Amino acid sequence: MNTMKVLLVDDEEEFVTTLAERLELREVQALVATDGEAALALIKADPPQVVILDIMMPGLGGLEVLKRIKAENPHIPVILLTGRGSTREGIKGMQLGAVDCLMKPIDIEELIKKMQAAIQDEASLP
Amino acid sequence: MNKREVNEVAFFGKITAGITHEMKNVLAIIKESSGLMEDIMSISPEAVISYQEKFQNSLAKIKNQIKRGVELTDRLNKFAHSSDETLSKIDLREAIEQLIAVSQRFARLKNVVLKIAPSKQSVQPTTLVTHPVQLQMALFAAIECCLHAMSDGGVINIGFDKSKEKNAVHVFCEGDLPGKSEFVNNLSAFEKWPVLQKIAAFLEGSVELDESAHGIVLFLPEQLGS
Repeated sequence: MNTMKVLLVDDEEEFVTTLAERLELREVQALVATDGEAALALIKADPPQVVILDIMMPGLGGLEVLKRIKAENPHIPVILLTGRGSTREGIKGMQLGAVDCLMKPIDIEELIKKMQAAIQDEASLP
Repeated sequence: MNKREVNEVAFFGKITAGITHEMKNVLAIIKESSGLMEDIMSISPEAVISYQEKFQNSLAKIKNQIKRGVELTDRLNKFAHSSDETLSKIDLREAIEQLIAVSQRFARLKNVVLKIAPSKQSVQPTTLVTHPVQLQMALFAAIECCLHAMSDGGVINIGFDKSKEKNAVHVFCEGDLPGKSEFVNNLSAFEKWPVLQKIAAFLEGSVELDESAHGIVLFLPEQLGS
């Protein structure tokens, strides 16, 4: 079985590192970044197959990070994470090229399914 | 509302909405941490075998409370965002459900349960263009009035229909209630009754005692300022 490689981007370090640990237990290789700049640097150095990106982050916000990923690596699918109140940003993110938008707290099995679907959809593109 | 009051409400709404985002993050961390404990238990149950049942019970409780916390936070977030606009299109049923969810605790202190009354089949979904915060305040004041006028225990039902071409919100009590005249006296002497009347007037509607039940009827126009 091919192991998925995902980059998790969220400024809530405890959230993102615990989620990474749970994904690793499910044989998903999870990279972690706690800010936008670090995420872009990681993508450049070691491109993941999919990015899970929080919208609300200090500094370089999620939507700005999304724009930059899509400009430089349009083939990497991005799934957004949002709180309920920021649905407007979620819609904006989808218009900017995100493939999906999930509400926090997330269900890990649902997240994995979404990641698999995003990678498969990307692979099926000509 | 004057400009200062609008700004005050907007300020409270903004801060509350911001905090609900933070609470979502807190809940997400608790969820992932308890999930990790569950994962470890399923991989190597022998590690916690002596306390396995206790672990499982505790994790189940944590999961239930996370679900409860998420629901409450979502409701609070929506409630906070109601101050984003001074006039908006509101689904009356949704607004009632929302208010019931955030007011349940106040009712529980009097052993009262808040319920949405089933709509009559003929009633179409009711949408109002009105002031969202004042509408919530009116519904809450109506609940407070009923809570004050009724005895401990029982149910407050909130429903809506169209009578005499007006949108009517019925807030009525059930249970071991005082006599109708005592109920009416309790209600009309309560300090929140004139407050409710004032809010109803601001919403270009009116409030009346329900003739057929222990309760209140709030009449509201379809469009504020029409």
